Order: sequence, then C-alpha cells, then structure tokens
Amino acid sequence: MFKDITLGQYFPGNSVIHRLDPRTKLAAMIIYIAMVFSVKTMALYAAVAVFLVALLLISRIPVSYVFKAVKPMRWLLVFMFIINMFLIKSGRVIFSWKFITLTVDGIEQAFFIVIRLVLLVCGTSLLTLTTTPISLTDGLERIMSPLAKIKFPAHELAMMMMIALRFIPTLLEEAERIMKAQAARGADFESGNIFKRAKNMIPILIPLFISAFRRADELAMAMESRCYTGGEGRTRMKVLKLAPRDLIAFLIAAAMLAGIILAERLVFA
Amino acid sequence: MPIVVEKLNHVYMTGSALAFNAVEDVSLTVNEGEFLCVIGHTGSGKSTLVQHFNGLMQPSSGRVVVDGADMCDKKMRRLGRQLVGMVFQYPEYQLFEETVFKDIAFGPKNMGLSADEISLRVADAMRFVGLDFDKFAEKSPFDLSGGEKRRAALAGIIAMHPKYLVLDEPMAGLDPSGRRSVLDMLVRLQKENGTGIVMVSHSMDDIARVADRVAVMNKGRLVMCDTPENIFNHSDELVKMGLDVPQAVKLADALLKRGVDLGGGLCTEDELFTRIMEITRHV
Repeated sequence: MFKDITLGQYFPGNSVIHRLDPRTKLAAMIIYIAMVFSVKTMALYAAVAVFLVALLLISRIPVSYVFKAVKPMRWLLVFMFIINMFLIKSGRVIFSWKFITLTVDGIEQAFFIVIRLVLLVCGTSLLTLTTTPISLTDGLERIMSPLAKIKFPAHELAMMMMIALRFIPTLLEEAERIMKAQAARGADFESGNIFKRAKNMIPILIPLFISAFRRADELAMAMESRCYTGGEGRTRMKVLKLAPRDLIAFLIAAAMLAGIILAERLVFA
Repeated sequence: MPIVVEKLNHVYMTGSALAFNAVEDVSLTVNEGEFLCVIGHTGSGKSTLVQHFNGLMQPSSGRVVVDGADMCDKKMRRLGRQLVGMVFQYPEYQLFEETVFKDIAFGPKNMGLSADEISLRVADAMRFVGLDFDKFAEKSPFDLSGGEKRRAALAGIIAMHPKYLVLDEPMAGLDPSGRRSVLDMLVRLQKENGTGIVMVSHSMDDIARVADRVAVMNKGRLVMCDTPENIFNHSDELVKMGLDVPQAVKLADALLKRGVDLGGGLCTEDELFTRIMEITRHV
C-alpha cells in the first residue's frame, strides 16, 4: 500500500543531472514550471514532453518510475478533467441538455489541464529523484540566505524541510509495521464503509503519533548533544560550487523557455 | 498439524532496479508444540521468513500451509492469523487503547468472542505474563514501565490462544531480569499449553537453553536446521556467517585446543558444568 509512494524519494545515480548543483536544478525547475504554464497549443506541449523525456533519458531514471508518482493522483486528474470539460462554455457546442453543455473548447481545455498537471508532477519529481534531500535543502538554504538579513529564518526552514523529507520513508515504514502488528491481532482495514474504516485506523494512528513524537524528542536531544544551536556560525564540509555544466544547463533551460514563448507568440498566435 | 513452508521465495520491489531477493527457496516444517529458534545476521531474511507464517506477507513463489490452510488463499488467512500469533520487534509500540484491559482485549474482540469469554481470557493472559489484574487492568498502557509494556503487548497476543506463537526478537532492549522472565514465559507457554514457538533471536545462550531445533538463515537461504547441539558443533561456519555460539561452547572449544576434551554435543552451561565435574572426578 505504501510502497507506491515515490514522493520526495531519491533515485541513486551518477548522471550529469544528478551531479548538477541543486541551485541550478531548482532554478531550472522554476523555468520548467513557467514553460509548462506558458504553453497553450498541443504541438508545444509535445515539445515540452520531449524535453522532459530527454531529461529522463539523460538522468537514467526509468520512465515507469516517474509515472509511479502520477499514479496516486489519477482520481484528481479524472476529477479535473470532468470539471473543466463542463465549466467552459465557449466554442462550438457538441452536446447540450438542460444546464449541461459540452463544447469543443471545453474538451480541449480539460485535456490541456490534465497534460499540464502530469508534466508538472513528472518534472518536479525529476528534481527530487535526482537530488538527495540534503543537497536539495542545502541549495534552498543558499538561495534563501540573502533573506536572513531581514531576519528570515532560512536555515531553520531548510532544516525543518530536510528533517520532514528524511522522515517520510521512516514514518511510512513504521506505519506499515504497526499495520502488520495490528493485522496480526485480527484488525481489518479493508472492509466496511468509510466511517468504519476511519475508526479502524485508530489502532494505527495512535501508535504512529506516539512514535513520531518520541522520534522528534530523541532527534532534538541527539542534535543538541552534538552542539546544534541553529544556523548562526555554522560552516559546511561540502560547500556548494557552481561548475561550467551548471551554466550550460541553466542556459539550455532558459533557451527552451524563450523558444517556447517565442513560438507561442509568433507561430501559433 | 504443522506449519509447512515449501520452496518459499520472497522478492522485494519486484521488477524494479532495486529488486532484492530476501528469501530464497526455503523449505521448513514447524512441528506442533516445538520450540524452533531462527538465527541469522541482520538482513539474512529471517524476519521476512517468519512474517509468511500467518499470511502477513505473501510469497513471490512457493507455499506456506498452516494446519492444512494455504496462506495464499485470502479466506484462509483469517484462520491463519488466529492459529499463528505474531509478536513483532518492540511489540510495546503497538499499544493504543485507553486501558491495558481494552488493549489486550483487542485481539480476542476481533475474533468475535463473547464479552464473558474476552474478560476471562484477558485475566488469564495477564496472570500468565505476571501483570496483576487489579493493579494494571484499568491503567493506561502508556503509564507502564518498559518491561510491563512489553508484557502487556505479549498478553495481547497470548489472549488470542494461538496454536503457534512467532516472536521477532522478543527480548530486545530488555534488562537481564526482563529477558529471563520473557524467556521463562515462552517456555511455560510451550510446556503447559503445548504452544509451538518460533523465536527469532541473537542470544545464543538463550537459544541453547530453550530450543528444540535451530534454523540458520544466511543471505536469504536456510543453511542448517537441526538440534542446537548439532548446530553449535559448527562454530567455525557460524562465525563465518557473522553469528556467535553460546559461551559454554566457546569454553569447551578453548579447552579442546588446550587438550581437554569434554566430548561434543554440549551447548548449555548446565551440560558444561556436569561434563567438567565428570572429568575432574576422574583426575
């Protein structure tokens, strides 16, 4: 049940994309998001998809692995599709009955929204799949560090995020273990209506919360006993350094965005 | 009827780059009323193996049959979970109810027993693990000490009256007196109630004392399954697998190297003691 969740998971590798500076990857991801949102025609969606697949091939992450991230949102996608299909009422009408109207534009838009979401999820999972949580939060902290001058808790936020990411698999594992232990005592999680099922989750949730608090306590103690006092005066063993490949990667991403916007304006307008 | 494991394979994350064969081609029989210990170093597949015994995990191939009920059959799994009680590592982390009584009653309640039968079984189980009913029944399980929590969690499984009890390192993290009382409890369960016990453990001295048979796992395979005397005769092989032998065997081996032969096939302190006494009497 929990094994399908790939959210925030790292896929070990040594490709060019794995080795890029996390800041470059974060910037590239923002550019990628801008790219996905500026596209309005099918041909250019295809271009973005090709770009994404190319990145996947370079990173040597199996395509099936990335699509696993999309699987848990399949119902959201269906829901989005149906809502958009019936909400947009411009364009040629195909079908009309009472207050329901179905138009060509509606179907087209609904289709685009779904593609957009899938592209977004796949693209952003590429970031977490190729970047270890540590270097990701490191990059975030460095990007946010100028804000520390106005007392913005950049280090604390980054540390919190890193701990949260770090504990996702641990808590999933724990939940599975507790689930098995309760199943061994005859607990049933698969039958009954939604209220009964929610009630049946109590034997999992209570031990899970207790152990999460215990872990938080222990972690805080372990960090303090290693003299952790927050970000002030903290130095790093591995200092992030931009390499030529980071500039190249950034330029490629920027060029892609510029190309897409130009194509959208000039060719398809 | 016994628990029969036939050519069991279990692969984690099938079909992905991270696929990993945790249990490979294991065949094993757990007889009624026997005390079987499973040893093997971390990651040897022993926990994965024992979780198949009541259908919590499904084999990638092979079969597990408990008292004639195939655990691959979904309908039979319910029966399997009543026949085979499972105690995980640190079972106290599964406690969740408001009172110790309610927590121990969770399993019997899921079995659909009557209220009278449930209170009878809870009281029995509490007596068995040495928790005073009047003192503990209405306490919150979270106010108990570590050892008491462990015993309350064990009582929760014992109250289901399983025919077999599978325990994954039941003594981990307990102090010596706690370890002894848990181990004694398991022996009593076997001797008095005829419960078959499968225990995963790293403590070779405890194993030498209680086991009828010992199964040795290495890299997902079952490499040996025999009486403790025969198993601990292979100290060299065990050490190579990252395992240990009981202190008594170590001492006997050391004596043998210095020319004192106590004779093979001993593995507990008592046996060692009587052999040494015999030899010294002749001197």
